Formats: sequence, structure tokens, C-alpha cells
Amino acid sequence: MTPAELEARLRGVGAERYHDKHPFNQRMHAGALTPEEIRLWVRNRYYYQTRIPVKDGLILAKSDDASFRREWVGRLHDHDGRAPGEGGLELWLALAGAVGLDRRRVEDLSGVLPGVRDACDDYVRLVESNDLLASVAASLTEMFAGDIMRTRIEAFERHYPWVDTAGLRYFRSRTVQAPRDARFGLDFVLARATSPEDQARCIAALERKCEILWRLLDAIEAAGRRPRLSRHAALRADGPDAALVVLPERAVRINASGAEILALCDGAASAAAIAERLRDRHPAVPNVEPDVHAFLASMERLGVLESAP
Amino acid sequence: MSGAPRPWNLVAELTYRCPLRCAYCSNPVDFAAVGDALDAATWARAFREAAALGAVHVGLTGGEPAARRDLETIVAGAAEAGLYPHLVTSGIPLAQERLAALRSAGLRSVQLSLQDVLPEPAAEVAGGDFQARKLAFAAAVRALDLPLTLNVVLHRRNLSRVAEIVALARALDADKLELANVQLHGFALANRAALLPTRAALDAAARAVAEARAAGPRPEILFVLPDWWSDRPKPCMGGWAQKTIVIAPDGLVLPCHAARGLPGLAFHRFPERDLRTCWEDAPGMGAFRGEDWMRAPCRDCPERARDFGGCRCQAFALTGDPAEADPACSLAPRHDVVLAARAEASSLAPPPPLALRGASAGVSASG
Repeated sequence: MTPAELEARLRGVGAERYHDKHPFNQRMHAGALTPEEIRLWVRNRYYYQTRIPVKDGLILAKSDDASFRREWVGRLHDHDGRAPGEGGLELWLALAGAVGLDRRRVEDLSGVLPGVRDACDDYVRLVESNDLLASVAASLTEMFAGDIMRTRIEAFERHYPWVDTAGLRYFRSRTVQAPRDARFGLDFVLARATSPEDQARCIAALERKCEILWRLLDAIEAAGRRPRLSRHAALRADGPDAALVVLPERAVRINASGAEILALCDGAASAAAIAERLRDRHPAVPNVEPDVHAFLASMERLGVLESAP
Repeated sequence: MSGAPRPWNLVAELTYRCPLRCAYCSNPVDFAAVGDALDAATWARAFREAAALGAVHVGLTGGEPAARRDLETIVAGAAEAGLYPHLVTSGIPLAQERLAALRSAGLRSVQLSLQDVLPEPAAEVAGGDFQARKLAFAAAVRALDLPLTLNVVLHRRNLSRVAEIVALARALDADKLELANVQLHGFALANRAALLPTRAALDAAARAVAEARAAGPRPEILFVLPDWWSDRPKPCMGGWAQKTIVIAPDGLVLPCHAARGLPGLAFHRFPERDLRTCWEDAPGMGAFRGEDWMRAPCRDCPERARDFGGCRCQAFALTGDPAEADPACSLAPRHDVVLAARAEASSLAPPPPLALRGASAGVSASG
């Protein structure tokens, strides 16, 4: 492939797989998300934000070229700032405040969904296990980020007026940074990926990255489902501190904390809301939210819970 | 075995009457001599006593449970006792209206037997063409939003159609498909040569099951290689008199539906004695409970905690001694019987005709 053909292929990956086409983002941009869903997204996406400087640090360490590092280190400055209270992470926390979240609870990552954590950690692993060229190629989703940021700003101003526009500064900063960074990354990839093998690796890395962003939204969307006891389930006590959920040809024993979770599965509250309520009830217990999500997922697999339409 | 014995599941054999005459029927061979001794009120009492013993599920079975005119009252009694009523039926002679009435009475789930995916071979096994009515019944179950399990006994004559059976189960929107390999006792024993499949046919069926499972989560498919080809016995009933209690149509209380045929075991009868006494104290219940009864090689075998020594009824059917090690196990002294059955199943000679379950006594021949 010529560099122009490779660029067209890379842009084609975005046209086909970038997460602006994910149903969750489509609903966000159409104004269809509830405040609870917006908060869930902001809180979880923060974990992705924290992984960006980590993976950029890994990329820096792969390069022997001072001029590359001089350029790339700018991304660390963009995200972490040059002093406390500055940078992209700080702007994201400002967004968290603007949507009504307690920033400490965002910062401590206590509400990060297991699926979101997996997807973001996979991004770091992808960079760890690849060479400089493929790692830079994976970052090329930035080519498509400028557009999504503009769409997002417009959508927030229009559909979510309850969010203070000062909270949108992260999106605004990215409309400038992302195209600039993407240009550098793209030129780097086009200049070095000349063999068919390297070109194929770059395309594959960008596809993997798109898949990771997609999975992140899948996990957030899934946490918006509203579980309820299966209509085929019968709940009955079994001894002093256990319950049985009886299903066709199967019974599932539930302990007291499981029963407390199931009692909140009323088909109205989302999985995320249930997890938050239990965290608030048990502030001294660590990892309540991920544990609740894991429990809900296992109960769904066993047929104990179903999703309300 | 973890914990004390608890009869989680009550198998309520309401009657041995049945319009079908399946060649592998698991009812006693002398089923016609066993009458329906328990009326609906007595069954209701049995359900309450079973719930008190820890039962959670009740499988209403037979024979054909719908042959009882008071099935609605019996279902209501089970639901009132707090049990989860599950109907195990041939789908004949149940009408859709009656199914709706059973659901209103508290029925929670249904297992329907199918003999085959094709009407003709199904009729050869069941002694009549019931296929269209069965399929209509399955649709009626799902239309009432009752969970549906399809049970298909697999044998030499239908094993090659596993993929088609799965496709039919999908089309019927079944929740579960139980592909049950034919067992070597009851009526099936007399038909052994006609029913036992070759190892190659079983392996092909296993591949078809694996492909079907990979194609999607519904229906859940239950399929395991039959014990007489797998070198280790099945963990029959989760252990003798550990998890399941059976009440036969005449009130005899058993650890499994086939235990009546074992010699020298005394079981109690309900309601002559209360269900707890029948479960806990009957000499037959205690005969193979736990591990004390085991002989070598079972008693020292590390796998006894997994397979509980296998199946007592199979041991009796194949060796004449119910305390013998299950011959399905390659370590069993009488494993030679199973090796002979495998050789018989793999022979190229054409299989003999099926003998169907007789309407009154014994069995009768049929092509």
C-alpha cells in the first residue's frame, strides 16, 4: 500500500468501528440519556482517562528518538497538567462535578464497572505488548475524536442544560488537542509502516483499540439494565439466614447479603443504581459496587434475574 | 456427601397408566399390577410432609399424570404446600384448555417427552402416532409462558438425528433440551440389542451437541456420554436416598423410580406411615445410603465421593446383585458384562425389532 492508501484504510476502520456509532453514544448525542446514565458514563469513563497518561508513558519508554519523545511528552502534560489542579484529568473531574457527582467518589474509582476496568486495562496491555509503531497506531482513534467532541458539546448544550457548560471544558480542549496529536501520530505511522506486515499490524492495532472503546460502552450500557426476579422464580426462606430461589429443575441458595441485593431488583432501579444504593448502605465495606455487579451477572446467568423491558 | 440427606426433589408418580407404550419405559415391568392408591387429598398431605422434610421441587409424573382426572386438584395441593410443581408429561391426552387450568392451579414448568423428530420412527417407539399432538402441546406450553423442557431418549434408532432434534427444540422455543441416553434397565433391558448405539454414533451425536451449543445459548442442552461407554459410573440420583424421594402410585416411598424392582429391600408405604418415617427409617432407604454398604473396589476408591458407587438398579439388572459394584465402572469385577454389551452394540448384525411396553401384562412384540 502507498501511504495514501494506508491512510484511507485507517480512516476506514474509524468509519466502520469508531464508538460514535455505539448505541450508547448515539443516545447521548440524541439527548436520550437520563441524568443517571450521564453520571454513570462520566464516572466510568474517568477510569479510561486515568489510563491515557499511563499508556503514553509506556509509549515514551519505547522510543529511542529524542524528537519523538519531546513531542509525545506533551500528551502527558495535556492530561496531567504541569501543576496540581491543571490538565485533562482535572477537567474531567470538573465535568464530574458539573453532572452532580462527588469528585472524591470518582477519583477513588470505587464505582468502576468490572467490564469497563477490563476494557481499559486491555488498552494498557495492548500498548505494553506491542512495539512503538503498533502502539502509536492504536492511538489513532484521535483522528476521529475531534468530530465526536464537537457533536458532544453541541448535544450537551442542547439536550442536557442541567449540566453547567463550564463542565464541558474537557471536550473543548480535546477539539484542539486531538487533531494535532492525530496528525503527528498519523505521519509517524505512514512514514514507518511501509512493509505489508507492518501496515497490517497498524490496521489491526487500530481495530483492537476501536473494539476496546466499544466494549467500554457495552459495559456502561449493560449497567443501565433494570433487573428483576425472573417471572419463573419463586423466592422462599431456607433456614434462619438463607433463601432459595426456585426455578424449573434448579434451586439457587442465596445468603443474607445476596437476599439484600435481590430485594432491590424491582425492575425499576438500574444495576448501577442498585450497586450505588448498597455502597451507600455499607460505607465501611470495600468493593461493594463491583461485587454487586458480579453478583447480578451471576444471577442472570443462572436465570434468577431477568431484565425488565 | 456434604450435609445430611435432604429430599430436595419429590418425584410424585401419580399413576402408571399411559396412552404411550415406549419400548424403553422406566416404569416397573409389572406396572399394571400397581394401582393408583392415593387420592388428591392424600397427595396434598404428602406434599406438605415433603416440604417439611426440605423438598423444594415436585415432579408430577407417571405413567402419564394427565391420565388422572384430579390432576388440577393435585397441582393446587403441591402449590399450596410451597413446592414448585413441574409436570412431566407425554402431552397426551392433555388439551390446551386443561393446561391453562393447570397453570391457574399453580403449575410452574413442564417437561414434554418427544420420541423422535420424525413421526414414523417416533410412532414405532411409542406404539402410535402422537407427534402432531405433541408439537401442538409444546406450542401451547410456550403460549402460556410456562418454561418448557423437552426430553428425548436417545438410542440406536434416533441418535443420528441429534442436530434435527436440536433444531426442532429451537423452533419450539424450548428452554431446555434433555438428551437422555437410554438406560439399561426396565423395559429397555429387554430391548438392549435394539436400542444400544455404537460408540461412533455416540461420538457423532456429541459433536452435533457441541456445534448446537456453540450456535447459541437456547435451549440449554443436557447431554452426557452414557455411563456404559464412559468407564465410570454415573452419580445416580446424587446418591441413594440423599436428594430425591419418590412416591409411587401405590404409595410406596422409594429412593428412585426403579428401586421397587430390587430384591430384599423393605420400603414403607405412605400414608400408612408418615413421610418422614418412610424417608428416614425404611430399611430399604438405609440399605445403600452413604458408604457403609460399599464393597471393594468402591469402598477405598477416591471417586466414591463423586459417583456414590453408581447405580444400584443397573448393578442388579446386569449382575443380579444390587450391592455389586456398578458394572459401568472399568474397575468393577463384573465390567465384562458392559464390555459384552459394547461389543453387541458395535456388531454389524441388523438390530432385532422393538418390544413395546404391554398394555396390560409384560411386553408385546412390534416391528
